[in-house]
Amino acid sequence: MNGSMRTSASGMAAQQRMIDVIANNLANVNTTAFKRSRVSFEDVLYETIEGSRIVNYQASQTVGPVQIGKGVRVGAIMRLQSQGSPENTQRPLDVAIEGEGFFQIQRPDGSTAYTRDGSLTISDQGTLTTSGGYQLLPGVTVPADASGITISANGTVSVSTSATAQEVEIGRLELARFLNPSGLLAVGENQYAATPASGDAILGYGQDDGFGRLSQGMLESSNVEIVQEMTDMIAAQRAYEINAKAIKAAEDMMQATHDIIR
Amino acid sequence: MPLQGILNTARSLSYYMRKQEVTANNVANASSDAFKGDRIMARRVGNSTFPVPVQELDLQQGTFRETARPLDLSLEGKGFLVVDTPEGERLTRGGSFRLDSVGYLTDHQGNRVMGVDGPLLLQGGTVEVHGDGSVVVDGANAGRLRVVDAPDPSKLRKEGFGRFLLEGDPREANLDTTHVRQGAIEEANVDPLLAMVDLVTIQRAFTANMDALRAMDGVLGAISNEVGKV
Repeated sequence: MNGSMRTSASGMAAQQRMIDVIANNLANVNTTAFKRSRVSFEDVLYETIEGSRIVNYQASQTVGPVQIGKGVRVGAIMRLQSQGSPENTQRPLDVAIEGEGFFQIQRPDGSTAYTRDGSLTISDQGTLTTSGGYQLLPGVTVPADASGITISANGTVSVSTSATAQEVEIGRLELARFLNPSGLLAVGENQYAATPASGDAILGYGQDDGFGRLSQGMLESSNVEIVQEMTDMIAAQRAYEINAKAIKAAEDMMQATHDIIR
Repeated sequence: MPLQGILNTARSLSYYMRKQEVTANNVANASSDAFKGDRIMARRVGNSTFPVPVQELDLQQGTFRETARPLDLSLEGKGFLVVDTPEGERLTRGGSFRLDSVGYLTDHQGNRVMGVDGPLLLQGGTVEVHGDGSVVVDGANAGRLRVVDAPDPSKLRKEGFGRFLLEGDPREANLDTTHVRQGAIEEANVDPLLAMVDLVTIQRAFTANMDALRAMDGVLGAISNEVGKV
């Protein structure tokens, strides 16, 4: 059996995975604060055929070992944490993080998840929640008679009511950041969970050292660039085809071998 | 004579088979980060009548792809970065590194990337890597990447995962000609076009050898079956 067919098949499988990731990036091009992923490939084990020493009556010659690679594998699928461009929505409850940091949210199972999607809403109990209905941590309750809400760059939430002329501070949005944000586990709904790879959450407020600032009335758009994804897709498709051709070439060679004896 | 010819042709066939496997591996890795292609050439050893496969690692510089990811490191010029694996130190041309939960710079497998004074611990917000390999975290010096060079490239063995094992000791790279690039990935130095041409050539050469073999087999058949018949 010609081992190169498996090698080429691994190349096809790797490019297939690349297309999968590109498709997901493209599907989420309009998802708020979506971070695109990138596949990085690496070679796999090598079979080393030992070199030999060929001796004849004239002289001896040493031939180095020959190494035959066995294909390619997906080394990692990395999420690129670069900032998406801010999009002006003028909705008072839209908050974008410019710089590092995640909002903390309470999952129904009691665990904490993290998100950069700051399209907030107010629940029937008056608490600030994400658009998916998950409560922000620490909880901020908006009084029922509030007529306007202001969220400052450092996360302070204040409301104005018809009763008082002054704005009243009702809470502060706390942010979390991670040493290795690429290590966060995406759990869907724009949320991430901490993992041993990401490290523990470091808590702080907007504009603190290492944290970004909050901007109200803005949403962070995804960092997917369509042109980039399209060119990557074409490249992946061509690489897939070339690997398929390599399989065909190997197959033809096997056919020729098979035809020796008729 | 046809017997010897058949043996020699069989050796040629096995040479082309090897060459095809190596080319297929190059093609499969055409999008692997910092991959270095292999070349197999036929050499006539002594006065042998068959080709002996000789391998050469193609260490040519790959082109750079800008990624703007701060932990994507690659090398411009000759040289390697050093990673500390459980089996010992290995060389790599760079790639997409990341931080582990403590903050050490590691490769995909979690092997730590070595600085001049041991593994690099990068705790902080912004990481800046300069051309000479010095690493600055939030404005403070955090060490320098160890950049080495293989005195004899033929002693490099590929281990997979983008790593090389060097038989013998590496020497310090010349940082006047070798630079570390941050936010860029070195692409594989495999030219898909040339690889396709190679695949076609190999296939044709293989079939031609096969035809030669069949011709000699015919001669042999004639000798054994026809000669001496009355």
